Amino acid sequence: MSEIQEVAAPRRRINFGFDKYSGIYVWALLVLVFALWIPDLFLQTSTVKQVLTFQAISAIVALGLILPVAAGAFDLTIAGTLTVSVCFTAWALTNGHGIVVAAGGSLLIGIIIGLANSLVVVKLKVNSFIGTLGMSSILIAIAYMITDSSQIVLSTSGYAPFFEFARTELFGLPLSVYYAALIALVFWWILEYTPGGRYLYAVGGNPVASRLAGVRVGRVTMIAFVASGASSAFAGIVYLATIGTATPDSGSGYLLPAFSAVFLGATQIRPGRVNVLGTLVAIFLLATGVTGLQLAGAPSYVTQLFNGAALIVAVALAARTARRQA
Amino acid sequence: MTSATSALSVRNATKIFGAQVALDNVSIEVAPGEVRALVGQNGCGKSTLIKILAGFHEPEPGIEVLVGGEPLEMGDPIASEAAGLRFVHQDLGLVGNLDTVDNLALGQGYITNATKTISWRKERSKAREALAALGYEINVSMPVAGLQMSERTAVAIARAMSERGTPPKLLILDEPTANLPGPEAQRLYQLVRRVADSGVAVLFVSHHFDEVFEMAESVTVLRDGKLIETRAVAGLTEDELIELVVGRKLVEHDKGEAADREHGPQVLQLSGVGGRNVSGIDLTVHRGEVVGVAGITGSGREEVAALVFGGHERSGEIVVDGKILPQNRPDISIERGVALVPAERHANASLLDQTLRENITLVDPGRHMSLGILRRNPEKADVRVWLDRLSVKPSGQTEYNMNQLSGGNQQKVILARWLRQEPAVLVLDEPTQGVDVGAKADIHTLVDEAAAQGAAVLVCSTDHEELVRVCDRVVIMRRGKAAEILRGDKITAENITAATIGRDTAEPAA
Repeated sequence: MSEIQEVAAPRRRINFGFDKYSGIYVWALLVLVFALWIPDLFLQTSTVKQVLTFQAISAIVALGLILPVAAGAFDLTIAGTLTVSVCFTAWALTNGHGIVVAAGGSLLIGIIIGLANSLVVVKLKVNSFIGTLGMSSILIAIAYMITDSSQIVLSTSGYAPFFEFARTELFGLPLSVYYAALIALVFWWILEYTPGGRYLYAVGGNPVASRLAGVRVGRVTMIAFVASGASSAFAGIVYLATIGTATPDSGSGYLLPAFSAVFLGATQIRPGRVNVLGTLVAIFLLATGVTGLQLAGAPSYVTQLFNGAALIVAVALAARTARRQA
Repeated sequence: MTSATSALSVRNATKIFGAQVALDNVSIEVAPGEVRALVGQNGCGKSTLIKILAGFHEPEPGIEVLVGGEPLEMGDPIASEAAGLRFVHQDLGLVGNLDTVDNLALGQGYITNATKTISWRKERSKAREALAALGYEINVSMPVAGLQMSERTAVAIARAMSERGTPPKLLILDEPTANLPGPEAQRLYQLVRRVADSGVAVLFVSHHFDEVFEMAESVTVLRDGKLIETRAVAGLTEDELIELVVGRKLVEHDKGEAADREHGPQVLQLSGVGGRNVSGIDLTVHRGEVVGVAGITGSGREEVAALVFGGHERSGEIVVDGKILPQNRPDISIERGVALVPAERHANASLLDQTLRENITLVDPGRHMSLGILRRNPEKADVRVWLDRLSVKPSGQTEYNMNQLSGGNQQKVILARWLRQEPAVLVLDEPTQGVDVGAKADIHTLVDEAAAQGAAVLVCSTDHEELVRVCDRVVIMRRGKAAEILRGDKITAENITAATIGRDTAEPAA
């Protein structure tokens, strides 16, 4: 690697892999700091389990978001989709429908939301930021309609089989963690090892050039939105099976962390491009920081503070990487 | 004619860039109210002269420039403006989403009242008056992007003509009607007339002989940085002017469809193809044949490649190997064996922050897929072969990002993307734009090879030497039509230049 850079672009500074793996270094540093600061609280297997479990839902949402962002489109409906999915699943279960209908219906709704987003962005040619912002407002309204502006609580006893879907433990970790891992694996394979991944990055890199090279830009964008919608909807099902309560603002806390993770992830592993492994590193970096601070007695708003600061740092880092490459 | 009364008097203008003399001791003089055309081939020094007047270039010492009898300080754009020189560039420099009032106020500020509030009423009436003086009556409160091209040009000229401290003495226009359809060009001729009648001199740069004969009273010809002649347009014939520009007497052109030279069977056939600015193009390209498309900007030449490839809406029919190409479906065009190396590779062809490998295999990334996985090593080996074949430097670096390469090497990578597809029809648009001499020669060799291997090649280019180098036949575009075809010995840079700027005898200059 260093050899290539010396020959190619003398302007480019020599690096020591810090660009690619800075997140892992920072993560290690955080672990070290908390291990020295609060060893009794932090160095526990329960901490690991807590971080993984709490992040499974965020991870699924963020992983879905990678696809549209790779194709150069924002999808701000991820939180709204999650909310609608949570509310619809809860409504269906409490109205006597089976798990398959509830969960299947939710996934279908996620796919339809993805199609609607791509209709707005590809066919109506609305800027994706504005288009999905509008869509997400509509989705919140739908969530209020479904729940009749209140909350739906699933009793632990009444819906045990549904809760097992996320809470059943395997090797000490709940199934939700395995779902996130499986989705990560699938998206990693798609993005890194299939033509579809190439098309996504190509469309994100230069849609005009992609079109002139035969890439069906509209179709690729549509598939990205559908994948994102389906992922968020699936995250909603997992959320309900983990938390057990549906409200019209269930998903409100998932938008910013997902974007933070994806953009911070774009500075990792494959700098300059959003990617699955980088996103995972980012998610666990953020989660480790937040969990450590909370264990050390920091107030609950530290989560928001940490995520917001991380997003800005992430984008600043990405801009710096881009400048260097130019 | 004494310089005291001249609107502009330039004596001994010389400009040297490195080892190249761009402008060699040129003197010109323009009288108040005169309309002067400045013509010459690309690189003849006309834009250098304009840039010296605009204060962008510092000329060599020894120059003397008087504007309205007053000496002009060199190398200072503000001094040029203050002296009364006004410029309208080809792109006009308007802000499309602002209205005429705002565009006129750009750079000179608004009329304000006692409370420093903009007086919109006064601004609007002032804008209307300024345009009325030029013979235009337009809605000054509408975004200028919604105006007709000639109206936009009028707004740009109105802005240039506004007082700004000193009254304008000389208006300098760069290719004023290059992108205008006939009737709109006519309106602009009248506008320029009005400007001249008000006593302001007009100097315009042009490749369009139509506008020279329609607008100018006199014409100055530059060639290779030297002043060739300044003379009255009255009594000048088109052939004489072409000869002055090109520097050689011209042979007769071959017109119409003569028998094609011996090539393989026909591969690409265009019947009545039209687009935004072109119409009714019929053309057949055979296996192994290289056909060039030449034309000045605005002639429709720049649209031909995209039309053939199906990059935008078109009328008419395009047949490749017996199959009709659908429009707007580059993917199907590619499937049928058509390849397009578009102009402006950064905007239209490159994934700048992705690897050469990804750039080359973008057309068919699945070629090295097995068991559901893209195999990177065979892919790298495949790409390396192509990088070597096109001698992309540095060699063998499949994992370099596109933006790490020089322009010429980037262009080779794009060419590699398409040659790797072994296209039946290879369409090249400005294939050596911004490419160094060595890479240019390489690219020309590659075009030869592609044709030798049986591709039907279409090369659209403004580089006439390039067309001479690679083409068997050159189609000349004028005013949206395939006006003329040059073959064999007739294909020389001079002939192509002359044909592209020649007036269309078949069509009266409307």
